[in-house]
Amino acid sequence: MADGTVVRVRNLVKQYATKTALGGVSFDVHAGEIMGLLGPNGAGKSTTMKILTTYLAATSGDVAVDGVDSAEDPVKVRAMLGYLPESTPLYTDMVVFDYLEYVGSMRGFKGAELRKRIGDVIRMVGLQEYVGFQIGTLSKGYRQRVGLAQAMLHNPKVLILDEPTSGLDPNQIIEIRNLIRELGKSHTVILSSHNLAEVRQICDRVVIIHRGKVVADGTIDELEGKVASTHRLILGVQPKAGQSASDLVAELQAQDGVAAAQVTHEAKTPVPHASFEVEAARDLRPELFQWAQRSGHGLVELRRKAMDLEGIFQSLTQDAN
Amino acid sequence: MNAVLTLARRELAATFDSPIAYIAATVFLVVTGLLFFFGHDGSADFFGAREATLRPLFEYAPWALAVILPAVTMRLFAEEKKSGTLELLVTLPVSDLQLVLGKLLGAVGFLVVALLVTFVFPVAVAMAGNPDMGAVAGGYLGLLLIGTAFLALGLLTSTWTHNQIVAFIVGLLLCVFFWTATDALIKVAFDKPPLTLQLLSFRTQFDDFAKGVVDVRNVLYFLSVSAVAVVGSTYSLQSRHWK
Repeated sequence: MADGTVVRVRNLVKQYATKTALGGVSFDVHAGEIMGLLGPNGAGKSTTMKILTTYLAATSGDVAVDGVDSAEDPVKVRAMLGYLPESTPLYTDMVVFDYLEYVGSMRGFKGAELRKRIGDVIRMVGLQEYVGFQIGTLSKGYRQRVGLAQAMLHNPKVLILDEPTSGLDPNQIIEIRNLIRELGKSHTVILSSHNLAEVRQICDRVVIIHRGKVVADGTIDELEGKVASTHRLILGVQPKAGQSASDLVAELQAQDGVAAAQVTHEAKTPVPHASFEVEAARDLRPELFQWAQRSGHGLVELRRKAMDLEGIFQSLTQDAN
Repeated sequence: MNAVLTLARRELAATFDSPIAYIAATVFLVVTGLLFFFGHDGSADFFGAREATLRPLFEYAPWALAVILPAVTMRLFAEEKKSGTLELLVTLPVSDLQLVLGKLLGAVGFLVVALLVTFVFPVAVAMAGNPDMGAVAGGYLGLLLIGTAFLALGLLTSTWTHNQIVAFIVGLLLCVFFWTATDALIKVAFDKPPLTLQLLSFRTQFDDFAKGVVDVRNVLYFLSVSAVAVVGSTYSLQSRHWK
């Protein structure tokens, strides 16, 4: 499309027998973007993805990928998509190479072209040492790589990843996130997650779904700016000799712009210090830094408290109400 | 078409990767062998007939096929549904009909292998006497056709559930019903059953094949049943959209 929109979703409604899963979802995904579909469990993320991939049909509404309507020509749309469903369903009895060969043949590749593509994706996702392994014997992290490899095999226009890091251990999560970021440099990616920190790390833009409706659409910073009317800062200081943490609370509260301050915890190691949560009308980090310096306290930590998903939801849905 | 063949190859390989294929083929060979040589009451067995014919084989083989083929088809879609791989399969750029045809073709591949194994019988008979090889070929064509119809019915039941055991039992009932119960029910219900009803029975349609007679109407009948089951399976796969 001329404006760079690769996926266009308009008024998507999905009505199950007893429940409305989606109540009119609309958004666009632009070429080269990594878009995060964020929402709590049951918000409608997976349903949206299943409709995008043509696994399910919408009750009403339209999805177009690169201008092709997915209800009119689902097979053509599928050819442009790479999909990794939630929990990575794979044929555990197959060997990695055979599985990729099978998926590639099903997608219409053969001979040297097929082998080249398999070689490329195996390198891309780092499966070189595991091509001869049975998928069932691989760890979850490596199965996820196989799932990504099959989704990448045909160099799709759009990569759709449903909760790609759920169920992985922390190291695997970091590896898979890095991999997705890498893939995102050359592809348009839509990924779903209920983890705000993850979306912040990986995604350029986020669409938040809550109870089947889009409640926000923008960059994470925009969203946080929109919802954060008060700034919460985390401050860790080593009080100068003779002062206690509670003395500092009074000092902090006397600062211009500080609405409230409280001690969150006191630590003995590695550096004895007290942590405070400071509520302010604006971002007071420079002022607090100068205050610590002026008063002779040792500054251990100073940062904005990341807003959690629940906080954002609360603000957004309250706004909506 | 390529996708259909790729899927058929994968399914055939998966069938022979699991013990089910070997158990089913062995059961088929042993059961048909016993029935062929000794019969169930001595009236239609090979030695009782005292002639070089494979008719006893063709009389009994459909029974064995009706029982073992649903065991081969039970996993085809039920397993994909249970493990979630169906979601990846149906989002490949392939139509649902192609998926059903590919799976059926893979299962027909197994049927062909199972039938090839029973070639020991015609070879044994040919060593003992001089059977009518045209009749033998007709009988085998009949087994291939009725087997394909059984497979298509089994495939259909596999699209209904994610439980392989349920798929097997319902498939078995359906196959046995078409093979024998329609015939029996019609006979109970009517003194002189109307021809149209008789023609619904697999047994009626298979009779000529067992005699070694290939009638194009019988061929079309089994192909039609298979086609109906294929279309039914395709609709069953698409029902995910309406739920």
